[in-house]
Amino acid sequence: MSILVDKNTRVLVQGITGLQASFHTKRIIAMGTNVVAGVSTHSAGSTHLGVPIFGSVKEAVLKTKANASLLFVPAKNVKSAINEALEAGIKLIVSIAYGVPILDVLEIQKTVKEHQAVLIGPNTPGIITPGEACLGVFPQNIHQKGNIGIISRSSTLTYEAVLETNRAGLGQSTVIGIGDDMIAGCHFDKVLELFHQDDQTKAVILIGALGGAYEEKAAAYYQTIKNKKPLIAYITGFENFTDDMGYASDILTHGKVTVEDKKQLFREAGAIVVESIDDLHDVLQDIK
Amino acid sequence: MNIHEYQAKKLLSQFKTNVPQGRVAYTPLEAQKNALFLSEKGPWVLKAQIQAGARAKGYFPDQDDQNLSGIMFVKNRKDLITVSQKMLGHTLVTPQTGPKGKLVSKIYIETFSPTKQLFYLSFVINRIEACITLLVANETDNILDLAQKESESILKINLDLNERIKKSDIMRILSFLNLPEKLFDELKTFIQNLYKAFICLDATMLEINPVGITKDNRFIALDTKISFDDNALFRHKDVVFMHDDYEVGENVLKASKCGFKYREFEDGNIGLIVNGDGLALAVHDYLKQMNQKTACYLNIKGGVDEDKIAQSLKIMMTNPKVEGIIINILGGFLRCDLVADGIISAVSEIGLNIPLVARFEGTNKDAAKEILEKHHFNFLTADSLQEAAVKLTRAMKEND
Repeated sequence: MSILVDKNTRVLVQGITGLQASFHTKRIIAMGTNVVAGVSTHSAGSTHLGVPIFGSVKEAVLKTKANASLLFVPAKNVKSAINEALEAGIKLIVSIAYGVPILDVLEIQKTVKEHQAVLIGPNTPGIITPGEACLGVFPQNIHQKGNIGIISRSSTLTYEAVLETNRAGLGQSTVIGIGDDMIAGCHFDKVLELFHQDDQTKAVILIGALGGAYEEKAAAYYQTIKNKKPLIAYITGFENFTDDMGYASDILTHGKVTVEDKKQLFREAGAIVVESIDDLHDVLQDIK
Repeated sequence: MNIHEYQAKKLLSQFKTNVPQGRVAYTPLEAQKNALFLSEKGPWVLKAQIQAGARAKGYFPDQDDQNLSGIMFVKNRKDLITVSQKMLGHTLVTPQTGPKGKLVSKIYIETFSPTKQLFYLSFVINRIEACITLLVANETDNILDLAQKESESILKINLDLNERIKKSDIMRILSFLNLPEKLFDELKTFIQNLYKAFICLDATMLEINPVGITKDNRFIALDTKISFDDNALFRHKDVVFMHDDYEVGENVLKASKCGFKYREFEDGNIGLIVNGDGLALAVHDYLKQMNQKTACYLNIKGGVDEDKIAQSLKIMMTNPKVEGIIINILGGFLRCDLVADGIISAVSEIGLNIPLVARFEGTNKDAAKEILEKHHFNFLTADSLQEAAVKLTRAMKEND
């Protein structure tokens, strides 16, 4: 088992013929992902990288029974591409785009909710269940099948965490980058819940950051779980920038939230909080 | 992206929001001329145009005048020149600028608008509930303190996207502000226009502090701050033109021209070069544990070439606070050996008189390490963050 994606996930790639999309689609196929269709209005009817191309998501779903979509479309087209996927009945969408306008994201969030779908992104390295499916742009050959679930807001720190679980000989069940946009589609608490339902996952690493309240929600949820799996939280963020202007949003959180505030919530909820990413090493040894 | 007050007010007036009459001036003479153009008689308000708040609480360190701040009321015509002389070309320090302050190169002159009541109003992107939230408060000072101590004294209304503001919400605001119902239409129009501006301009924050209510019951935006969503600027070419290069600092500007992100901290003496914010954060946290502080960091992101890497090192070395550099690269798409070549090319050109530690992980990390270690220059390399931090601090001590 794993969460959200596995070898049975039938993946559709929107915008498959682009340069970056081609590069990464080739990689994820090599990593074992079951890519069943691509969508591109220009090349409908042909095949690309051995994958049949359709003119619309609806047609691709009808012909191939695709049930998850990986989006490689420019930021300004993400909203319409996601809407197309939702209307075709896709329930899991992963968007790799960098820099989607925030008002678009708010609208996307609303429609995703209405369709009871899951969106990972819009700005994320994606999701990977090692050896089974990769919907994203993770580096090749670093993931190992195992039993640590990883959820992170920072893509580069996700890789650091992956390397640490490898060093400990534990590997990963599923790794999800929720992205560090102002508003993320998929939240920590939701993923944490899925990891707790998954038999393969023994423990979870959560990498949080400043801004927003995903960590607060996750900590509150974790507190309520009866049979807790070990949760290792690393929370980071820059404080004291010289050009900080965003104080209006601090009103919503009743004052400036610090990294320490977020860490404290996890400690109180019963999670293991590490001070630096290198400290994962020792904690993982104990879990083993 | 942020803009100046005078630009924000111009934008808002295009959305039919009441703002005071005003003109920008770059010299004292121009200030006098523009003030008299606006009104033959005072009082006028002279406002320093810097992109930081709390200007009224600010001071000019190089001026003796105790009463001088970033916002000045001038009653007499003869004082227009002397007051603007004291502001223009001088550095203004406010609680939000940091001790370095900001140079005032232009002032905005407005006619004084008498009001009978003031209140706070803003629209923000609410990251917690994924919506736009309208905030209203009776206080106009120290809003953040108020949020911390008595959060119930700030009215929060979550708004529907792209929809009109509800009648019931306007009623709530009226009663919250103790305003009579006869102001319903005025208030509704005022708020509706601002919300339209927020959406149409792809703002992430729009703050009117204060909103004034005039004697004839009109709402007027006395001060305005707008932040824009950088990711949506492609839809707003006219806003992009308003960008003030002087506001962002030389290194930030140089970095952004290469497609990099550069940020400075209030203190610290270590510079970080990374290819992902997370990598900077990881080192930053490690340094904190060792009681060391980051001075600045530069994110070169992906898709760079040797020349650009060299450029990043040059930018970093122009920050006089930097006494040591850590380069933390996770190679994926970006090859580590390319970064190593870039480091050598920069150092061969401009030299290096401070310690530099590089930590590579991922694509071609061994090749990169070898390139640096073989070079006659004294580069340090590390395999972990811990090693990098320890080696750098040791080398910095020796360098003293």
